Formats: sequence, structure tokens, C-alpha cells
Amino acid sequence: MSPFCYICRVMDEVELLSADLTHTLSLPYANGGIRAGFPSPAQDYLEEALDLNQELIANPMATFYGRVKGDSMIDAGVESGDILVIDRSIEPESGDMIVGYLDGEFTLKYVDLSLKDTGVIWLVPANSSYPRIKITPERDFRIWGVVSYTIKKRINHI
Amino acid sequence: MYAIIDCDNCFVSCERVFRPDLEGKPVVVLSNNDGCVVARSNEAKKLGIKEGTPYFKLADEFPGVKIEALSSNYTLYGDMSARIMAIVRMYAPRVEVYSIDECFCDLAGMDQTVNLKQWGEELAARIRKWVGMPVSIGIADTKTLAKVASRYAKTYAGYNKCCVIDSDSKRRKALGAFPVAKVWGIGRAYDARLASLGIRNALELADKPEGWIRMLFPLPFENTWRELNGVSCIDTTEVNTKKSICTSRSFPGMITDRESLRTHISNYACRCAEKLRRQHTVCNIVTVFIATNWFRKDLEWYQGMMNVTLHTASSSTTDLVAAASGALDRLYREGLSYKRAGVIVSGITPDSAVQLDLFLSDEERRKRLDSISRTADSINRRMGTETLVLAAQQYPADPKTGKAPHFKDAILHNLRTPCYTTNLQDIISVK
Repeated sequence: MSPFCYICRVMDEVELLSADLTHTLSLPYANGGIRAGFPSPAQDYLEEALDLNQELIANPMATFYGRVKGDSMIDAGVESGDILVIDRSIEPESGDMIVGYLDGEFTLKYVDLSLKDTGVIWLVPANSSYPRIKITPERDFRIWGVVSYTIKKRINHI
Repeated sequence: MYAIIDCDNCFVSCERVFRPDLEGKPVVVLSNNDGCVVARSNEAKKLGIKEGTPYFKLADEFPGVKIEALSSNYTLYGDMSARIMAIVRMYAPRVEVYSIDECFCDLAGMDQTVNLKQWGEELAARIRKWVGMPVSIGIADTKTLAKVASRYAKTYAGYNKCCVIDSDSKRRKALGAFPVAKVWGIGRAYDARLASLGIRNALELADKPEGWIRMLFPLPFENTWRELNGVSCIDTTEVNTKKSICTSRSFPGMITDRESLRTHISNYACRCAEKLRRQHTVCNIVTVFIATNWFRKDLEWYQGMMNVTLHTASSSTTDLVAAASGALDRLYREGLSYKRAGVIVSGITPDSAVQLDLFLSDEERRKRLDSISRTADSINRRMGTETLVLAAQQYPADPKTGKAPHFKDAILHNLRTPCYTTNLQDIISVK
């Protein structure tokens, strides 16, 4: 082996920085600024700005995103280009919209687990021109994650 | 007690989360510029593909076998690793990230209240479900024994991804069937020597008396021996403070002229400077190396390396680029085809305590450069990397587009998968 093979392994650009998450440093925050005179009467009612990350992502460690391609869920209001917020930590229940992996691709469907005890799972599209898909144990299928939100862009000129 | 959480074939497993079609197939991940194999799936290991095998040799060595080869996607691996470490932190109070794919947990105080076998199985199952990464967990009195246990957890499905060595009889049984060369910290260097002393498995080593070990081996080895006997003495926390930072690449093609080489070296120095600043440190040694292609036996081989000591420790891009550039002029030899180059910075100290040079330092200049670098960092953070660069870092413009390529695009990664987790353009597509 070349001496550089070893070097390249060590030196390739993997940067390992360990974050110290055990300490927090809270800084005092004067909401209304510090000024001489009368303080803002609204100061007591100010709160942190709304953060959609916090609202929509219950579990950042297990959350991934996907983009919709196709119209099999169109009647559920989900169409091509929409963004899916996928939470892998949620245990799927019947009626959940899930991202599954079937026959070499990711697929978006409602899941019906009512016959799960018999080994059968149904994948249900929200588009009458698509058939329901019967999943038997022999098929190469897995549920990849549960869709917790879908995001749709409503404006096209920005 | 200590636990080690070790990802199974980390890079390959990361890829498989987003490419489930790669399950069950021989998959390898290649180093930067698709040089050589740095990670293998179990199927690839079974075929006999060795780590470090140059990519171009794969097809010759394994004719007719379909091997999936992927460029390394460190952005993806880094994000997945951060998620895994965050999950581990939910399960244990003291976590030491040891490398991108493994971490140690100090379980002191937990062993009395928690069933550790259950704890480990649950943690492994959770990481698998949440992130998709298979991990093996070993738990024992010392880190070295935990490593042994994790290998059992990895090799035998019966352990359900978690193996606990919590009694002397289990320790003896585990070590008795464990090849000594696989013990953490021993490796190939000692293998031949141990074999000549008649030691084949880890138990035969652990059972030797202390005096015998001390007589024949250096101190780090003695610590390993002690750990095999259940006495914890290896502290891994120091690996977290970086002693040196390196940025190096092999080039997609060969480079012969000095100025192209300088552009690359300048970029490496700039990367190092950014990393120093990010961790609030400065360095006082800048090392530059350049090398020709080792695999091309038909060409002249040359490898040059030079250290530059800075008068005043610095993390300024300007200082580091100037030092690296000066070193290059001394190293460069006309007429050779260079394949690889890099910059290493060392002598790293906190930037809060910079020792100024009595005669040469110019405190004003230092402060000014420092503030320029920090301003550039913040612009680059907000507007995207490489918005603002030194002229020395600029690559020649592409004649077609008229634009100069970015450093990050100047390496070859033909087989790279998308950055599924960090770039909205790259997220998985779902039909």
C-alpha cells in the first residue's frame, strides 16, 4: 500500500468537532433596550418570535425531507413539488400518510394496517385512477417514515 | 462501566438509508477524488476487497463482479453522525465522540439502576429506527473490553446488537476466542512479535504477569494489558482537542505548473485557517507537502515536505497562505507531475493567549488581519462558502462559463450521492 493511502484516509476532509452540549450560557436580554426614560409598556408582553422549525419538527434527530414527484396523492392535496416532512420516530397507524420503499423507489401513500396481524398491509393512494397496493410479507417493502407535514409553495413569482 | 456505540460500516450504511436498493449488494465508498476504498459493506468484505484498494484496480481484481462504488459524501456522513450522537446523549450523561462513527459512554452510576443489556438493545433499536443506522454496542468495565464486546455484538446476531461483559467468567470466555491482533491499540505492529512469543488470543496476553509485559513492551501497551484485565486506564478525551489540522487532496489529473499548485495550496491553507478560527485557536507551524503519483511507476517519484514556523502564532488567512506559498517555492521541482498536495497546521494554541514576537511583531497589523479574516468568515457564512476569497485562491475561469470554479468543486466526485439531509435540492424524491 502506498504511504499516501494511509495519509489520504487520515487527511480526507472529515472534520470531527465535538460540540459541548452540556453547558449553556444564558445571557441577560433587555427586551426593550436600555434607555433612560419610560420603558415600553409592551415589554412585558413580548415573546420570542415564532420558529417554524420548533413547531413543525418534533424530533430533529429523526426528521428528514422528501419531495413529491407524481400525483398519486392529489386528492389529499399533495402534488408534485411539495415538500414532505418525514419523521422516522413516529410509529405508523392506519390512516397515516407514509413514505414507503417498494420495488426500488420511495412511494407516498396512506397506510392501512387493519389486517397487519394476517401479514397484509394495504397502501392506499388518494387518486381514483391508481389502485390500492397489497403488501404481503414476500414483497420487498418497508415503511421508511411517517409524513408529519406537507409544505406547498403558493407563489410562483419569487 | 463503559459502552461503545459503533456504527456498522458507517459510510455504506449512511448511503443505504437513502438508497435501500443497495442492501445486500457489495458496496464500497471511495476516498476523495475517488482514489481508494475507504469503506466496505459486509458483502464487499466477504468478496475479499481490502481497505485501501485503489479504485482503478477493483475491476481487474474482481472481474465480472458487480461492485457498487460511491464517492464519499462527508456532508451526509457528518449529518447522520451528529444525529446519532444526539440520540446517544439522550441515553447517557457522559458521551465522548471518538470518531465520526463511534462514541464512548461512561456509565458510572447507571449500572446499579439500569439493566445495561436492555439499555443497549433499546438504544441500538432506536438509532436504527430513527436514523436508519445499524450500530453495535459493547459494554464492559473498560473501554478496551467494551471494544471487544462490540465486536461480538457486530459479528453474532444472537446478541441483538448489544453484548455485555459484566463478569470475570464472561471476560475470560470473550478474550479466549478473540484474536490478539484485533484488540484495540494492538494492531498489526505487535502482531508478529506476540505470535513469536506464542500469544494468539487476547486471554493469553491478559494472563501474562505485569512484570513480563513491562519488560517486553512500552507503556501504552501496558495500559492495554491492564484494560484487558478490567482496570480502566485509557483516557480518550484528549483526542477531542485537535493537535493538528490538515487539508489535503489528490488532484483529479496531474499538475505540473507551479501556479496551479499554488492556487491549490492557497485554498488548503485558507481551509486550515478557517478551521483554526472556528475553534478559536491559532497555530505557529505551517507544513506543506507535495507529491507525485506513487502508482505511476513509469514517472519520477518525488515527495517534498517543509515546515514553516510563524514568528507570531496566527489564524489569519493572509499569514497562512503567505507561509504556505513560500514553502511551495522551496519544494517545487520543475518538470514533475504532481498528484497530491496538502497543508498541515500544528502548534495549535488558544487565540486568547498569543505570544507576540519581541522584535518582529506588529500588533496593529495582527489585529487588522484578524478582523479581516473574521469579516470574510461571516460574509462567507451568510452568502455561501467562497463568496469572498484571496486572489491567490482563485482558480482560472472556465472558458465556457467565464466563471472561476469553486474549491469544493475542484475535486472529483463522479459517483457522489446527493446531500439528502443538508440541501433542499437534494432531498429524496417520493412518488
